[in-house]
Parts: sequence; structure tokens; C-alpha cells
Amino acid sequence: MSGYLLRRLPSALLVLVLASFAIFAILRLIPGDPATTLAGSDPSPETVAAIRADLGLDRPFPAQYFSWIGDLLTGDPGRSYLIGGRITDLIGARFGNTLALALGALVLMLVLGPVLGVLGATARGRVPRALLSAVDSVSLTVPVFVTGVLLVLLFAVTWRLLPPGGHESIVADPVIGLQYLVLPALCLALPGSAVLARYLGDGVRQALSEDYVRTARSLGVSPRRILWRHALPNALPPVLTVLGMQVGALLGGAVVVEALFAWPGLGQLAEQGVARRDYPVVQTLLLLLVGVYVLVQLLTDIAYALLDPRVRLG
Amino acid sequence: MSVSPTFVDMLSRRRLVQGIGTGAALLGLAGCRSAVDRDKTAPAGAAGRPRRGGTLRVATLADLTPALLFTQGPMFSIHRLVFNTLTHYAPGGLDPQPELATGWQIAPDGKAITLTLREDVVFHNGRPFTAEDVVFAVQNLQNPQRSAQLRATALAVTGFDIASPHRITLRLAHPVANIFDLFEFMVISAKESVEDAVLGRNVVGTGPFVWKTWTPGTSLVLDRNPRYWVPERPYLDAVEIRVVPQPDALIASLRSGQSHLAAGLGGRDIVPLRDDKALDLREYDQGSGNIYLGVNTSVAPLDDQRVRQALSFAVDRDRIVKQALGGYGLASAAPWPKSSPVYTDADANRYPHDPARAKALLAEAGHGGGLDLPMAFLSTAPAVAQMVQFDLARVGVQTTLEPLDPAKFQARLIAQTMPALWTGTHGFASNQPATLAVSAYPFNEARNTSKFVDPAYTEIVQRAWNQTDARSAAARVAYAELSRALLDRQFIIDLAVLTNVQPATAKLRDVRQNRYNATVLDDAYLAG
Repeated sequence: MSGYLLRRLPSALLVLVLASFAIFAILRLIPGDPATTLAGSDPSPETVAAIRADLGLDRPFPAQYFSWIGDLLTGDPGRSYLIGGRITDLIGARFGNTLALALGALVLMLVLGPVLGVLGATARGRVPRALLSAVDSVSLTVPVFVTGVLLVLLFAVTWRLLPPGGHESIVADPVIGLQYLVLPALCLALPGSAVLARYLGDGVRQALSEDYVRTARSLGVSPRRILWRHALPNALPPVLTVLGMQVGALLGGAVVVEALFAWPGLGQLAEQGVARRDYPVVQTLLLLLVGVYVLVQLLTDIAYALLDPRVRLG
Repeated sequence: MSVSPTFVDMLSRRRLVQGIGTGAALLGLAGCRSAVDRDKTAPAGAAGRPRRGGTLRVATLADLTPALLFTQGPMFSIHRLVFNTLTHYAPGGLDPQPELATGWQIAPDGKAITLTLREDVVFHNGRPFTAEDVVFAVQNLQNPQRSAQLRATALAVTGFDIASPHRITLRLAHPVANIFDLFEFMVISAKESVEDAVLGRNVVGTGPFVWKTWTPGTSLVLDRNPRYWVPERPYLDAVEIRVVPQPDALIASLRSGQSHLAAGLGGRDIVPLRDDKALDLREYDQGSGNIYLGVNTSVAPLDDQRVRQALSFAVDRDRIVKQALGGYGLASAAPWPKSSPVYTDADANRYPHDPARAKALLAEAGHGGGLDLPMAFLSTAPAVAQMVQFDLARVGVQTTLEPLDPAKFQARLIAQTMPALWTGTHGFASNQPATLAVSAYPFNEARNTSKFVDPAYTEIVQRAWNQTDARSAAARVAYAELSRALLDRQFIIDLAVLTNVQPATAKLRDVRQNRYNATVLDDAYLAG
């Protein structure tokens, strides 16, 4: 097994090195640099030149690249040009916020999706079915920036039950923190919930029409037992595959939701970093992302190798 | 016929009770302490009198950029919250008033100004304020890394004579008409903390509020300065500035009562708030900048003044104000807001919307057959560019729009690589007119994005800047001449002065702004 790992590690490292080079180069190819942002409005060229020199942006590209890599290897990628804080602190604080948002949305998705799906599959009468179908379609098709605004209008502006945006640490103050989390997490969870509901509803409907269900009914098995013990387990496997994809989509959707609800997460940090050409922040964030994917890929390969000896021997 | 069981059928009674119990527990948890109620806490006090206490919550679109601490920028300015300035202008004009400087005397030749400083002022760290701090403040702005727009004026200060800890003379290279613009712009910060301050760590001033905590991307909290030199001020206990990066969310924050004051909204964003009786839309007379059509005079035929004037006649400024700014603007061909000493109705209306005259001027310049020009614009603000494109097309000038993101736009402005035309915004027209010509890059006589060079213009700018008394008759003549020069040459075609509107809860009283749009909360309070 360790031999297999040793064979896989160089390619993972190579991917990271190539990615670091590509990220560094692409950012510099985009016109505009941090010095122009730092120079404020109505700056003179002399001001911009002084700031470029101060940030070391007037050095040759290879020198800048190796300086960044050197900093990374020491575990300190430096400071944000514009925010001023240490990048490790900035990313660390925001990673927790994005994780909390994604986990909150995942929990809501796991509750709302199955409830809507099972209700849709078992509802009697045209009106309830049509209503549930409409809820499902609206949740799926309306973009998060619209549902976000609607949720805020209803829950924060009209009824004043929840704050319209902002953030409070769930760890420091769980009661208040949860109230800040509810609306953004719900907004983020709705499209995924609708997808889950649709897959689960179809699966349950199909399972309930199978012969073994009819046989169970004729044998007098209770409807509750039929659903929980027979129909749902058979409807779940395709839903789990979809759930995996929706978790990925959660992270993408978090960028928009974070902006809508003033939630200080990684998405907001990345968006601001790109817009203002904060090279150290964007470089480190993107490389971290690549690193996570490489790690996941490596873990997947290891899992396959553990399950199938032919992989590690081949 | 088979009948499917419903979901409710399938829930056992125990599970139903468990579910209801969990829901009730969650609701109870939320009911214990409400984030909404917490945000509503306001102090009590006697009606009709300023009330002491309470936290003012400000929502702003852009976070603080510590590196830009000494510049005027789009973010909510803390210049007059954490800091003081030497002088400030009285509301409604350019009459300097004492702040940290209690008196001043300008030398007869205009090449020196002697300041008498307050003796009862201490920084937030407890150190007394002295003349040495004035020296540092000027030198700090002279440092190009501070990106201060009034650096050119700061550089006109060539030396210091300190007579006593609270009396200092600033020697000047020449008479400086906008010296009080510099004094209002230049915040007095503690020298020992400034390198930390530009990293957002330890911002120390003498102002009414003390820097407490800054969480990047989230909020900045300022506490009341108990040793503030103005007796009984400030009334507020604290100010919390929250970052809400999306205009709709920022408006929701205000309407829901989560925030008391919103900063950074544009005119069109504000329109939906007009009918909200719980809110005040406060207008400040200094404006909040200008929108303009920039012209690259190195591109033929834009090197011909008649062509530039034709473009100016072609644009319908009133429609731009109405449709792009939601009515919150002054259609004007001149950059000055109405509160400027150089503003005249005649200058503002110098180029009325007159397509026929525009066509005639184009024909006179030999371009009656039309023109085809590229036009850049900020991708975040396309409306003005699209309207200008429509108006120019009506006089035969076809334009191809080129969207640029803010960083790219700024880089091309500075590098003088803008195409033939571009739309943008500029500031610094609300102070002494000389400040616009020496501090706003688009108008700089030595080097500007338009690549406009004219010795006569340089001479006019220098004449306006080198005035000993900014309020003298001679100065007024020089300013009028500067205004005329800008209107004649049209290398920057001003379209409108943006109205400075700040929506706030009606409970918030006595908020002011200085001429650089920095919010002043010395006398502000939250009424019950």
C-alpha cells in the first residue's frame, strides 16, 4: 500500500506545481494590478509607481513567483495587499463561515428534500399534488438571488422575524448565530432540496407501484411500514448520487448567497480578491482549492486501492 | 384499485410528537433572544433633547481598505469619526472653521501660514497632540504610498517652524489657494501607530470614537472616546459599521431596522425608499462626485475642439439624470455643485441638448458624414454609457462600447491608454476650484488621461492655485477663468453632478458630512 502511495504522490505534486504556475501567470495576464486599486481614485502615475515598487510588483515575474512559493513553503503566504491581514487568518476565519453555511444548507436540504419528495409521491388529490409540484418547480427554477431577496422581504422586512443579513459566530453565540444562518442556508438549500424531492418522489412513486408493494399490501402490511421499510430504501440509491453533486453545487451557490446576505465567507473573499487584483489572496485561495481537489482525488484512489487489490498491483 | 398511503398516514404518533417537540424547541431557542430585537435596542431619554447612548449601526457596500486610510474613496469614511482635522468648512460653503487649529494667519505674500493649536487634545492612546503631529500629518500625505489625492497640495508645504508645542508655521512654495482644502482633508493620526493603521490593526486619532475591532469583510466597531476634547460629546456610545456588499441587501437592512444609516447607495438604488416614512433621505450640498464623458484628444478628430464641443451638445444630460440617476443629480456641463463659489447657471447650461447644433459643429469640422469611435465604460455602471451612445448616434457619431472591470478601467486611466471616448466619475469639484485642477487626475494640467496639453490651460490652473486669499475678488476671477477654460476645451465633458443622498432612519438626528463626504457624528444621536 505504501508503495502505491509513493507512486501516486509525485503526480499529485506535479499537478500542484503546474497549478501554482498557471494561477500565478493567469492573474498577471489580466489587465490591472493591485497598485492601481491601492492608489485610490484620481491617482497620479508617480503614486502608482511608488506602490508597485513597495509591493515588489516591479520585480521580474520569476522572482515574484519564487518569492510566493517560498512563502507558501514556510507556511506563511503573507498578507493581503488590500485588507492588510495575514492570509492564513483571513482564509481560516472565512473557511469556518462558509463551512457553517454549507452545512446548514445541507441539513435543510436533507430535511426539505425528502419531506417534499415523499409528500409529493403520496399526496392524494389534484390540488395538493399541483401545489407540491409548484413549490418544487419554483424552488428549482427561481435563481438564488431572487429567492434570497424574497426571503429577506418576507422574514426580515415585512414580518421582522429574522435578521436580513450579517453574521454572528454560531460557536460564540449559538442562539443568535443560528438566527443569522437560517435565511442564507434556506436560500442556498432550496434548489438542491427541489432536485432531491424530484428524484426521491419519482423513486418512491415507482417503488409503490411495484409488485412487491402490492403483495405487501395484500398481506396486510401497514402503509407506514411499506414506505419506510420497502419503498424508501429502494428509492434512495439514485438520490445519494444526486446528493453528492448537490453538495458541490452548494459551494458554488455560496458565492452569490454570501453577497446577498452579507455572509463573510470564502466566496466573498475570492470575489473581492479578483475584483481588486489582490494577488496573494486569490493565488493562495485558488491553490488551496486545487489542493483540496488533489487530496480528494488521492483519497479516492486510495479507497479504490483498498477495495480492489488489482488497482494497487497494476 | 390500489390506494397509496399518505405521508401523514405513515408517521407514527410518537414520531409526530417528536417532530413537533423538536420544532417547538427550536422556536423556543429563537424566542429566548432575538437577533432582530437585539438590533432594535435604543436609548431612552427626554423628548426633544439629544439623547445620550446607543449604538449607531451603519451599513455600507464596501469594506474599509486600510491601505487607503488617507485617501477619499468609495468606502464609508471614518476620517471624522476616529480622527480630527485642523479645520473644517462651515456647512453650505467654504468658510474655514476651527477644529484642532483654533486660529491661523496667512503671511502677506501667501508663502506661509501660522497655526495656533488646541492645547487640550489627547490621542486615543493618551499622548498629547502637539505641533509635531501637524508636521507628521503633512509629511504622511507627501508620501506617495499613502495615495492621498491632495498630495500635490501637501507637497507645496516646504518647511515647518515650530514656535511652541502648540504654534507652528507652515512654509509654502507659493501661495496656495486650497490650503484649507488640505486642512480639511488631512486627518491627524498618531505617528507611532500609522504603519499599523495602514494594515488595519491600530488606528489612533483624536476623534470622537476609538477604533475597537475590525473584522475584515464583516464589520468595524468604534467606541465612544471618553476623553474627547469637545465637552459632552459624542452622544452615541458606539458606532458599528457593517459591510453589506449588495445594494438590495443593504436596503433591506435599513428597512428592517437592522441598520440606521446606509452608505454607498446610488441614486437609482434610493428611489424605492422615497415613500418609506420611517426613513429620511438626507441630501448634502457638496454632491458626491460627477459623471463625465472623457475624450482622448490624441485621437483624430477629437483633437479638434469643435468636435468635442459637438459631442457635448449632443448629450441629453437631463435624461441621464432622470433615467440613470433616478433624478438624484444636477445636469451640468460644469463640474461644480451649486454650493461651489464658482458655480453659475450659465456655466451649467453652457451645452444644452442641441443635436442640430452638434451636427452643425461636426459639419464645420469636416465630419458631417459621421464618425465611428470606440467608447469604454465601467462594466459595473453601463447605463450612462448606453445613453451617451444613443445620443451620439443621433448626430451621426457611432460608438462601439467596450466594458472594463474596475481594476482594468483604473489601470487604463492612469496609463493614458483609454480609447477615443470613455464614461467615468471624478471627484474634488466641491472644494476650492484649484483642488479639482491639481488633485483630480482627469483634470491635471501636467498629465491627464485625455492627453490634453495646453500651455494656456496650465497657466490658468497655476493662476487659480497661486492665490493668497481664496475668497478674494482676484481669486474669483481666476476660478471663473478656470471654469471657462474647462468648458471651452471639453477634454472632459462633464455630464452631471451626483446628488449626495444618505438614507437613514428618521430617529437619527444631527448627522453632518464634511466637504469630502466624511460622516461627522459629533452631535448625532438616536431619538426615541
